[in-house]
Amino acid sequence: MRRMHAAALVPPVLAILAAEAPAHHAFSPVYDEARVITVAGVVTEFRFVNPHALLIMDVTDGAGKVDQWTVEFAGRLNLSEFGWTADSLKPGETVTVTGNPTHTGSARMFFRRIVRADGTELLPGNAQRLDTIEEQRRRRAREREQQK
Amino acid sequence: MRRSAALLLVLLACLASSARAQSPAPGLEGMWSDPPTTPEGLFCFFACTDPGLARLNRLLDDPANDARPFQELQAEAKRHEREYLRDQLTPAARERYPLDPADDPGFLRCEPWGLARQIFAPHQLEIRQAAPDRLDLRYGEWDGRRTIYLDGRAPASPAPTAMGHSVGRWEGATLVIETAGIAANIIMLPDLQAMGAHSDGLRVVERYTRAADGGALHLTATLTDPRTFRTPQVVKKIWRWAPEQEIAPYDACEPPTEFKRGVKR
Repeated sequence: MRRMHAAALVPPVLAILAAEAPAHHAFSPVYDEARVITVAGVVTEFRFVNPHALLIMDVTDGAGKVDQWTVEFAGRLNLSEFGWTADSLKPGETVTVTGNPTHTGSARMFFRRIVRADGTELLPGNAQRLDTIEEQRRRRAREREQQK
Repeated sequence: MRRSAALLLVLLACLASSARAQSPAPGLEGMWSDPPTTPEGLFCFFACTDPGLARLNRLLDDPANDARPFQELQAEAKRHEREYLRDQLTPAARERYPLDPADDPGFLRCEPWGLARQIFAPHQLEIRQAAPDRLDLRYGEWDGRRTIYLDGRAPASPAPTAMGHSVGRWEGATLVIETAGIAANIIMLPDLQAMGAHSDGLRVVERYTRAADGGALHLTATLTDPRTFRTPQVVKKIWRWAPEQEIAPYDACEPPTEFKRGVKR
């Protein structure tokens, strides 16, 4: 699977468990951070705004009924740091979104990972930061071993 | 005519002298943003304490923890830090700590943060010398703005405000800001999952220092509020030099359509 950003070696589980996204409020009152769901749909709108970016998508069920889902992000401030722009997601494209569901089970989730139709993947900034930290830790452990 | 020109020259010399006196080390001006990607930077993304950092470093230095993910070690050190901070609170403040994030007015009503959260906000911090006697600080989160008076002036009104009244001075290369007159509000102790309440007696002394290599800005804030803390508390934060960044509009906050109280994390 190809990924959009250079920090591509984050294991999927680690990406999903990414630490709290920096934002203007905690997400725990709305989203169940202990669970993840995956939903596929067609993008109708991507709002690259502060304090939270929002993706709106149409999700069609097995009977052909279309529901509108909302995917909430940590915010433009946190996304732009990792190269996201207002064009990172375009209306009409098919995406598969993994995220935390709401406590009520409504048609809404908090972004953890998006896979596009061509296999490229979008990850939260924190997942990429954690990848860098783990590489630093591996290097430090190797140096520690060499000093023995 | 000649007398007017002489007066003008004297006036300009005085202004230049005043500017030099007020701003001997303007090395902090410009755009700062999220901290360097290091364990310390991530741990202090909002704010951190020395006891919390010491616990994190002990965990990282122990080879027995090499296989544990950083997130797990960070969570353990943050738990220790929250317990430490809880111990520093007065009995009355401890009863309300940590606040339920579902009661945050920033979440419920899109109410911008007060000073005790804004100074620890993630993302950009822009520092500009707006005048010889004034610094403007602007934050990416909430597009929060503050004025720091370098002439020691008293507040225009004694009534507390969300950002309080800030006076600043240079101690060598360190910018020292003292703020009082802050309206009772919420404080990061040390982040959005562990917030407390402070009184309008809170006083904050911020000390900003640029790292020797110029790449990071370090804040050490001393928080004094006898109704909240048993003793003054020292909280820290780090930013990264980010001249390429701009602060984007912050104009699409919406109150939640659904939420749940009492969620434990």
